[in-house]
Amino acid sequence: MSANLPELGASNKSNLWIKQSLRLLHHEFRRGELTIICLAIVLAVATVFSLSGFSGQIKQALLTNSSTYIAADRVLRTSRVASNDVIEKSQFYDLQMAEKVETESMVFAGDNMLLSELSVISNSYPLRGELKVKKSIVQQESTIVHAPEPGSVWVEPSVLTRLEIQIGDEIEIGVASFEIKGIITDIPDRSYRAFIAGPTIIVNIVDLAKTELVQPGSRLTYKYLFAGENDAIKSFEEWLKPQLNDTQRFYDAKQAQSRLSNTLTTAEKFLSLASMLGIVLAAVAVAVASRRYGQRHQPMVAVFKALGASVSHIRKLYYLHWSLLSLISISIGLVVGYCLLLLGISAIDSYLSLENTDLGYKPFSTAVITGLLCAIAFAIQPIKSLIKTSPLSVIRGFSHEKPPRFGLHQLPPLLALFALLMMFSQDFMMSISLLIGGMIVSIVLLLFGQGLMSAGRSVGSQAGKSWHLALANLKRRASENSVQLVSFTIAIKLLLLIVVMKNSIISEWQQQFPENTPNHYVMNIAENQLESIGDFVNSHDIQSQGFYQVFRGRISAVNGELLLNRESAEESNEESKSTDGDLDKSETTEKQEAKNNSKTSDEENKPRQGMGRELGLTWRDEVPYQNELIEGQWWQKDDQQGQVSIESSIAERMSIKLGDELTFDLGGKTFTVPVTSIREVNWKSRQLNFIMVFNKPVLKDFPATYISAWMVPEQAKTALAQFFKEFPTVTMMDFGAILKQLYQVIEQVSIAIELILVLVVLAGSLVLVAQVQASMEERERELAILRTLGAKGSLLRNSVLFEFVALGAIAGLMASIAMEIAVYFLQTQVFDMSASFHFSYWLLGIGVGAGFVGFVGLFSCWRLLRLSSVTLIRRTM
Amino acid sequence: MKLDPENILKVRALTKSVQLEDKTLELLQPLDLTVNVGDTLAIVGSSGSGKTTLLSLLAGLDLPSSGEVYLKSNALHQFNEEQRSQVRANHVGFIFQQFLLINSLTALENVMLPAELANLSDAQQRGKDLLAQVGLSERADHYPSQLSGGEQQRVAIARAFISQPDILFADEPTGNLDTKTGQHIADLLFELNQKQGTTLVLVTHDHKLASRCQRQVEMDSGVLTEKVIKHQASEDITTVEKVG
Repeated sequence: MSANLPELGASNKSNLWIKQSLRLLHHEFRRGELTIICLAIVLAVATVFSLSGFSGQIKQALLTNSSTYIAADRVLRTSRVASNDVIEKSQFYDLQMAEKVETESMVFAGDNMLLSELSVISNSYPLRGELKVKKSIVQQESTIVHAPEPGSVWVEPSVLTRLEIQIGDEIEIGVASFEIKGIITDIPDRSYRAFIAGPTIIVNIVDLAKTELVQPGSRLTYKYLFAGENDAIKSFEEWLKPQLNDTQRFYDAKQAQSRLSNTLTTAEKFLSLASMLGIVLAAVAVAVASRRYGQRHQPMVAVFKALGASVSHIRKLYYLHWSLLSLISISIGLVVGYCLLLLGISAIDSYLSLENTDLGYKPFSTAVITGLLCAIAFAIQPIKSLIKTSPLSVIRGFSHEKPPRFGLHQLPPLLALFALLMMFSQDFMMSISLLIGGMIVSIVLLLFGQGLMSAGRSVGSQAGKSWHLALANLKRRASENSVQLVSFTIAIKLLLLIVVMKNSIISEWQQQFPENTPNHYVMNIAENQLESIGDFVNSHDIQSQGFYQVFRGRISAVNGELLLNRESAEESNEESKSTDGDLDKSETTEKQEAKNNSKTSDEENKPRQGMGRELGLTWRDEVPYQNELIEGQWWQKDDQQGQVSIESSIAERMSIKLGDELTFDLGGKTFTVPVTSIREVNWKSRQLNFIMVFNKPVLKDFPATYISAWMVPEQAKTALAQFFKEFPTVTMMDFGAILKQLYQVIEQVSIAIELILVLVVLAGSLVLVAQVQASMEERERELAILRTLGAKGSLLRNSVLFEFVALGAIAGLMASIAMEIAVYFLQTQVFDMSASFHFSYWLLGIGVGAGFVGFVGLFSCWRLLRLSSVTLIRRTM
Repeated sequence: MKLDPENILKVRALTKSVQLEDKTLELLQPLDLTVNVGDTLAIVGSSGSGKTTLLSLLAGLDLPSSGEVYLKSNALHQFNEEQRSQVRANHVGFIFQQFLLINSLTALENVMLPAELANLSDAQQRGKDLLAQVGLSERADHYPSQLSGGEQQRVAIARAFISQPDILFADEPTGNLDTKTGQHIADLLFELNQKQGTTLVLVTHDHKLASRCQRQVEMDSGVLTEKVIKHQASEDITTVEKVG
């Protein structure tokens, strides 16, 4: 016949591989043979799409929401008027702009005077958040406003009480007089610090010149507030930042707000981590599924070759088949991811306003690149060896030859994984350490797992028949199983990791704000007011932390060497004072901010010889609450020798050691005392904390006022008006609002984290299913043999169940150990938290491993177990 | 080498050995064999005797360690994998013990496959005709998993004949079937073979099946011996005696 046969024409051949490829794809899809591999890619793409979209949206929304804390997206803070270039550039980028000038000034009303904080604002202020005033004392609802009309001002309530005036009266600021037209109830970028000069008065910026407060040498802070499209803001920032000098700072809400920033950064890190783990899981699923794909297609390639198909024909056929499969899966993945994203967004929409956020192209590009990387890098080896299948296999049988476990062929998947991690984290060190750590863990697990399974065999020989068979199977397949075990372990570990981290992050957040967290600071209490204020506290169910004496002073020398208090240092401190919601760095809890900044901002890294400003000083007999002595000894109560205890991070920054002699200046009087102890202070607690604590003899002769932190319950709030009337000289600061906002952020982020958890669980489950599927043919053959040998259905069922249960339990145990190590690393290195152990999760890991793997295994084998012996034998022989 | 017109397959001094860790295992001792066009040849022998190894060399699935294999004047021993594929596509048909149908393709598509690979224009019609000849017209759209073992092998036979190969290699074609079905499959194989005048090389350990071939060679520990067949008049039983 050959003579009559046309030679293989190139054109017809080219049609043939396309035709055969499409035919195969069609049949295989219909028969469900591509479901797992397709699902794996779909899930990888959908996970990445929804996670990157979702966490991007959340980040953006949180940032937008938090922008209200600085009344803008970005603020340029400077001690001089900004150049016109800046304004013009912001206009070029189509940004909204508002101006705010802050200064302290005496104001007068008749014979009364008061030192107050002036906020001089332009009409567009605030760009984010709301400024609220009441137009009269009796008005219940506040009105949302921008700047007051020229010639008028808004004041905080204590201005009225302390100057003994009313709305409609006039006050004098500088050389101009203004009519009071409203009472301020809410300032978005309010500063919370102890030694503010006094209550705030808001003035329109057009009136600033009229007051003649702007003089050479006068201390004014200019703030330029900007808001606009994300990209535009970023471009503006890139343009502006290089031009800033020592006295200028350009910041966003996160940089300005330490506590919020901590929360957001932790949330962001967690979301990124969860996303990365989701990607790793999905990639593992693709790798497992594509290996099975390769094995399943071996007979087909062998037959094709035996029947005379050329290698190039087969290569083209499979490349097309795989490309189409990948493209279809990636497309489905994008659709599924988009739906998940919409679902996620709608779930948190009521908590977070997302209308200002746009999706951007990033989720699309990231997801498509992920899909392609997974489809190419993880499948290239299986497909290459598939194409190499020898035609001789049609006679000799299929060896399912495994490539050597460690070798060059693993380079593409590892590189791909690294690329994926890099793409997501944009952090080389984190990616490389995750990758190398993961590889080491996998190798250890591989060896450990084989050992465990062998050990299981000897235990099993003492056990019942089903267990015996199950453990014998485990041992016999130790090599394949250990690969399976590694994927089970990784899947369970990552799931545990996410759960544990989620819980520890949320509980850490909650610990920062326990039920009785103070929501008011009360300052400037005179000694003779203590008793009556104490009565007020008791009668209104207010929880007070007690009253402490506070002195204002500077540190002027260390070991006799005078400290240099540079102007720029002053600026820097001033700036954090006014932006970070600090009661005072010396007294409240926001020291964390200094710590954070010293880590992140170059500005803060510069050596600072002095503290640069006045500190709140106090004395104590005992070590303060939630402080820990890390060096030296606490003094005895009756010690007459003056001593000081210093906070550890400041000691480190100023290079102060135990025994150093510190000289302080209190109202012109100086004294020198030795450092006898160094304390670590928990700045995250909202307690009254001090950098410098003395023993009583040092401060007993200086004039002091008292300070306290209160938790004022909701029902006592109305009584506070009475309090102001009774004690007009006392300053009270309410930061309940900011606490409430923080609670909200935590709640929102917790919901986001839980949604992401669901996706990661899905990805993990798919790995398990894909892995069980991959071992199905082998099991099918064994079941056929056992059936033929007369094994009862229940024996087979139980042995399959027990085998998977044992496998799952071992995986769960190893996952728990691996999780514990990973959590330790993450908590201490990435999330800056204290390490904790989670033995209760070990049970969860083992239980979930055994239960889930057992279930999936039995479920997948169920069909096989129900087949009659004849069918089973026919299928496998 | 140019073969005589009556020869389709010629083998000279063919050997096959595999290198084990410390020694060389001789699978085939040097052997010669010639098969003429239209011959039916059975290679018999016990398990492990080397008959399957021989088949894989004759069909160009594997390369010999030494010696020459000519199939229709094609020097298979000198050809690379691609060239041997081409020869198989143009001249060779196969029937396997394990049937080896492609699970993802229907019966008809399985049958059509060699015809497509040989670029025959009427693959579908030929496939349908052949399925009809093996009595499976009704099952054309079924997948292999929906067919019984005998039915699968009938599909495999149809597949083997579709491209009207010059030579057909069958490796234990009834080895996986019960006696009755095996008998039926053998009938079908010889019937189609006769109809198409194909040269048939059959590997089997079933002497009854072997006896239906014109020639038999026996493999024993890698040594090939030709059997002389005497037909007894009284019964349709064939006895053989070894020569050479």
